[in-house]
Amino acid sequence: MPIIDVRNLGKTYRTIEKEGGVKGAVKALFRPQYREKVAVHDLNFQIDAGEIVGYIGVNGAGKSTTIKMLTGILYPTTGSISVLGHDPQRERVANARNIGVVFGQRSQLWWDLALIESLNLVANIYEVEPSRYKQLLSHFAEVLELDEILKTPIRSMSLGQKMRAELAATFIHEPKVVYLDEPTIGLDVMVKQRIREFIKDYNQTHNTTVMLTTHDLGDIEQLCSRVIIIDAGSKVYDGPLNAIKQQFGKFRTITFETNQPIVSVNLPPACEQLNLSEFSLEVRFDRSQISASQVANAVMQQLDVADFTLNEPDLESIIKHLYQNPTAYNEVGARG
Amino acid sequence: MLRYTKLYWYFVIQRFKILMEYRLNFFIGSISTVLFQGASLVALWAVLRQVPSIQGWTFEQILLIYGLLTLSKGINHLFADNLWVVGRDYIRPGQFDRFLVRPINPLFHLLADRICHDAIGDFIVGLSLVSYAMVQLQLPINLTSIGFIILMVISGGVIFIALNLITAATSFWIMDSIAVTNVVFHTNEFAQYPLTFYHRSIGMVLTWLIPYGFASYYPASYLLGHEIGWMAWLAPVVALVCITIAYKGWLLGLRNYGSTGS
Repeated sequence: MPIIDVRNLGKTYRTIEKEGGVKGAVKALFRPQYREKVAVHDLNFQIDAGEIVGYIGVNGAGKSTTIKMLTGILYPTTGSISVLGHDPQRERVANARNIGVVFGQRSQLWWDLALIESLNLVANIYEVEPSRYKQLLSHFAEVLELDEILKTPIRSMSLGQKMRAELAATFIHEPKVVYLDEPTIGLDVMVKQRIREFIKDYNQTHNTTVMLTTHDLGDIEQLCSRVIIIDAGSKVYDGPLNAIKQQFGKFRTITFETNQPIVSVNLPPACEQLNLSEFSLEVRFDRSQISASQVANAVMQQLDVADFTLNEPDLESIIKHLYQNPTAYNEVGARG
Repeated sequence: MLRYTKLYWYFVIQRFKILMEYRLNFFIGSISTVLFQGASLVALWAVLRQVPSIQGWTFEQILLIYGLLTLSKGINHLFADNLWVVGRDYIRPGQFDRFLVRPINPLFHLLADRICHDAIGDFIVGLSLVSYAMVQLQLPINLTSIGFIILMVISGGVIFIALNLITAATSFWIMDSIAVTNVVFHTNEFAQYPLTFYHRSIGMVLTWLIPYGFASYYPASYLLGHEIGWMAWLAPVVALVCITIAYKGWLLGLRNYGSTGS
């Protein structure tokens, strides 16, 4: 049985359309023109225990709206959600006991309280058993390096310290399902790495189900085996991360550096010239049709090559390609 | 219930720790409430010393009404002050979301998040006025009258909270409800005086629509032995009806909650 079961989920916002200027504002006050905006449309997916799913899409695609419906913050317009058998809206309290939520952009802790006080309060709200709390606190203090900030109020913490504090507060009641909405936004590489390791480790030791939205594909590559891509409120891809990579990974590029200025070059079939400057040439080729050595040979016969590098496609360029070419989703065989 | 009581107490302790960090704020808050109340009283006294009584009401009798209202207001001030700023401080900046993902009632969480110690000023002023008036008017001070006053102050406090709750719930639609709450809340100033001072319609409004009259005029009338005093016994019922309707409005607002972007 899936842990998270989303069926035909939809959310439509109704906003008031305003014309510009004072006249428009007054008109909107007395004769409001409503405009319906579909944020999420007919969404279906199931997530099993222990999965870490990357939920990605461009800004405004409907990621946060989905997470807010899953956590019980927003009421869906259509469809149903079940998280560990609970309806997040109708059984808000029962659902809240099972879940942990991090919103990367805002804090769930008390601005003026020292971290340890905030954590005590959270533990009280979730009724964490005192001896268990002690155990977890010392564990988190170690892996998230909280010792030096336990007595610091949230307001005087750096962004990285704040996020470590948030994670401790989110996991202190040992949630079975965790939603992370951009947990690494604005953080430096070191903190990002520590946070990823923490999530991965927690997922492995507790079999926690994790749903993660992010714009940092490093998060996805290191944490997620499955990816759901949402575009304009609809699901456009749901499948293993590898499938995207394999499908789009059939293209590779080779960059050649030459000793002499390049005048012209004839490329073998299944190759495409990407960048050409005086002393360098970048070639993209389909590796199912031609091998890297064949391409290199063909080029080296024509040019005086000093050096060349073979580039594996990275996830970032693949996703960028997908975002820019929505039809490309069909190529990877969207599931669902 | 026990759980919520314990949790509430825990919130209070945390709040106190924050207050101690801003000690100056703590004292300014309490003192300013006393000063604020004091200023209104001086104005009242300045008017009433010119005449022995207005429509048969003496200065001390009006003080009794005023004092009872202040005590009820104090209950609202102490427990439910966050209702004023739910739009500005929680909904607009997106802070309200965290209340909705925790395993406790979101309204409880909102109220417990900030109990307002400034209310101490209301209680000092209210208690002084009621005791002074009762002594001057030679009203009996015994278990029965004290019990009656406690019941009335609690009912009045609940009426105040209910009216602020239903106006605060408009935040879910219009983001910031301070203006709406202000309009309704300030009609309580009519209830500082006997309702008979005003046109009948105003008396009706303050009894049946915005029933602040039950926090002041009716209980005071009962204590003074006036005929209309029996109405005071309706106060607990009115309070219960108001808070039920207000909570339903609040729940409706929650359903309509749109959160903020990102």
